[in-house]
Amino acid sequence: MQALTPLPVALPLAIAAVLLIVGHILPRNGADIIAMLTAAAAGLIAVLLAMAASEAPFAYWFGGWQPRDGVAIGIAFVVDPAGAGCAAFAALLFFASFIFSWGYFDEVHARYHALMLIFQGALAGFAMTGDLFNFFVFFELMSTVAFALTGYRLESSALEGALNFTVTNAVGSFMMLAGIGTLYGRTGALNFAQLGRALAGLPPDGLLALAVALIFGALFIKGAIVPFHFWIADAHSVAPSPVCAIFSGIMVPIALFGAARLYWSVFAGSGLDQAPLRPLLVWFGTATALVGGFTAFMQRDVKRLLAMSTVSHMGVLLVGIGLLSSEALAGAMLYLLGHGLAKAGLFLIGGILLSQCAGIDEIKLRGAGKEFPVTGAFYALGGLIMAGLPVGLEHQGDHLIDEAISATGLAFLPPLLSIANGLTGAGILRGAGRIFLGLGPEPGEEALSPTEEEREKQDRPVWLMLLPVVALIGTALALQAVPAEEAARQAAAMFAATGDLAAAVLDQAAWQPVAAAPEPSSASPIEPAIGLAVAIGLAAFELGRDHLPRRLVRAADRATAPLFIGLDRLHDGVVGDYVAWTVFGAIALGVVIAIG
Amino acid sequence: MSHAAFLLPAWLFAIGLYGVITSRHFVHLIGCLTVIQSSTYVLLLAVGYRTDAAAPIFANLPIGTPAVDPVVQALVLTDIVVGATVTALLLALALQVHKRTGTLDPHELRPLRR
Repeated sequence: MQALTPLPVALPLAIAAVLLIVGHILPRNGADIIAMLTAAAAGLIAVLLAMAASEAPFAYWFGGWQPRDGVAIGIAFVVDPAGAGCAAFAALLFFASFIFSWGYFDEVHARYHALMLIFQGALAGFAMTGDLFNFFVFFELMSTVAFALTGYRLESSALEGALNFTVTNAVGSFMMLAGIGTLYGRTGALNFAQLGRALAGLPPDGLLALAVALIFGALFIKGAIVPFHFWIADAHSVAPSPVCAIFSGIMVPIALFGAARLYWSVFAGSGLDQAPLRPLLVWFGTATALVGGFTAFMQRDVKRLLAMSTVSHMGVLLVGIGLLSSEALAGAMLYLLGHGLAKAGLFLIGGILLSQCAGIDEIKLRGAGKEFPVTGAFYALGGLIMAGLPVGLEHQGDHLIDEAISATGLAFLPPLLSIANGLTGAGILRGAGRIFLGLGPEPGEEALSPTEEEREKQDRPVWLMLLPVVALIGTALALQAVPAEEAARQAAAMFAATGDLAAAVLDQAAWQPVAAAPEPSSASPIEPAIGLAVAIGLAAFELGRDHLPRRLVRAADRATAPLFIGLDRLHDGVVGDYVAWTVFGAIALGVVIAIG
Repeated sequence: MSHAAFLLPAWLFAIGLYGVITSRHFVHLIGCLTVIQSSTYVLLLAVGYRTDAAAPIFANLPIGTPAVDPVVQALVLTDIVVGATVTALLLALALQVHKRTGTLDPHELRPLRR
């Protein structure tokens, strides 16, 4: 079984190369079939690896270069249920995206499929690597492929968004490399386990704070954490819908997964103080959830709205990771899965709108979706999940995170996060009512304002595009039962067992089973109710403007105008400002970590 | 090696960032990005440098000769490849944007908001 370890990465990369060579002689849809089979095969292998590692995690040393006397000579993949599970989850999303994009790209050469498979390989490698150098290489690989896929349709009118995405994320790559150089200069190690041990023997100093700020800053750019998040709406509005599903479903969350991996396998044992780090991450997460929620609610472009909603949910995910406990981590893992499934499904619905209704602007599309009631129902269902519907994986994760927050005494935080997520749900429900039911006030001059003129290929059957949507959102809701939670608590405990993991990797020590993260107490019905109330109430308010007392509507608008105008000014679309915010965020991280 | 050597990459990183933040032309901005990237090369090479050590090629050297660290050099090589890819991609995108809009000023190229 262990010999299969490289395959979730190597197989998609190899098939991508083959596709590039033979792409031009493949029959119609040949590349679609090959890509789907490859994604599925790599995913199944990742599932097998996750199951094999569920008893004891193991390291795979490339070329058989085992460590000597606790010094890593070769490069390792460390397989644990969380990492391999992430790779399997990525494969599932790619499989769904390939179904959606069946016949989507007319041209020969299968370049789209090759790029997507490289993307999948990079994500799997990022999730499973046990080495900081390879962590960077896979991070870079996924960034570069993502840049190419974003600008894939060179005729797209929103190509400027691809430039903003590439510049901000390239700055992130350089930050990460500088951080890695700093850490390597301090310790002489690149293997996670060995780095952790080396740092444990050193006093924490400014250099460590600098390295953490640079590396976490880079991961937060990709993970869309405020104030590093500005690229996300621009990138999602230009990228093809199946690519957006991958971006929001796994690429953005996996960056935060990487931050958790680094914390637990490298920094947890070092002198890095938990005392400033925990509140720092929790507050970054809370700010992210709120800014993302309000900004999502004010969007009228469906894909930008969904992208900002991802920001809001990444905030909650960061709170889960930033609590630095295995219980919250288990919640974060479930949350990552549940959010990724539902959000990928929502972006694919955006793709259905682009291909069937020739638009993505909520106001121009008013009533345009009346012919597609099933699509509309799933869009609304996705909105309810985003708002905190108390069923399914995302809710389960949310609940675990809320419990862990309450245990630290920040009892006001869970309702705040629920309101933030409820705002994104409100935006989605408002869109569902307007587009698929034709509700809401008559668009006046608003419909004339310029929007992106976008459309995606239209001659594909709706049922084919709806199939992956139903499967993804259905899975997010159906997989709620106890086993998923138990598996997550077990995986999180293993993930957070810093010392044991290092011993297993470097000394080939036998694995001592660790106790699963503690079980949560009974579910509290308050948080989901808050989120749903915010979502349904605000959506109803927006759609019913004409039927409400005019004075009430005007007062509400006047009260919220400064907030929305401020957020709009903040997201000004100028790439230099985005980078300036990134610098500000990284300096804030570094200063707080260094001073405590 | 003296710690002063690490001031150079810090300076390059900062001046490159300043350029990216204030740039009014995307080709200039892409040039500034490569300045930031150069700072990482200098940092890594400085980290791996050993005074009076040979290049890490052991074809003609006896085993045990001190050599500079080859790991950082491998990192730099990887980074150069990535940098070339990203720069090429960015320039291609910039060319395409210029064809359509006739400008490469980030302030005029704001993607539509909302």
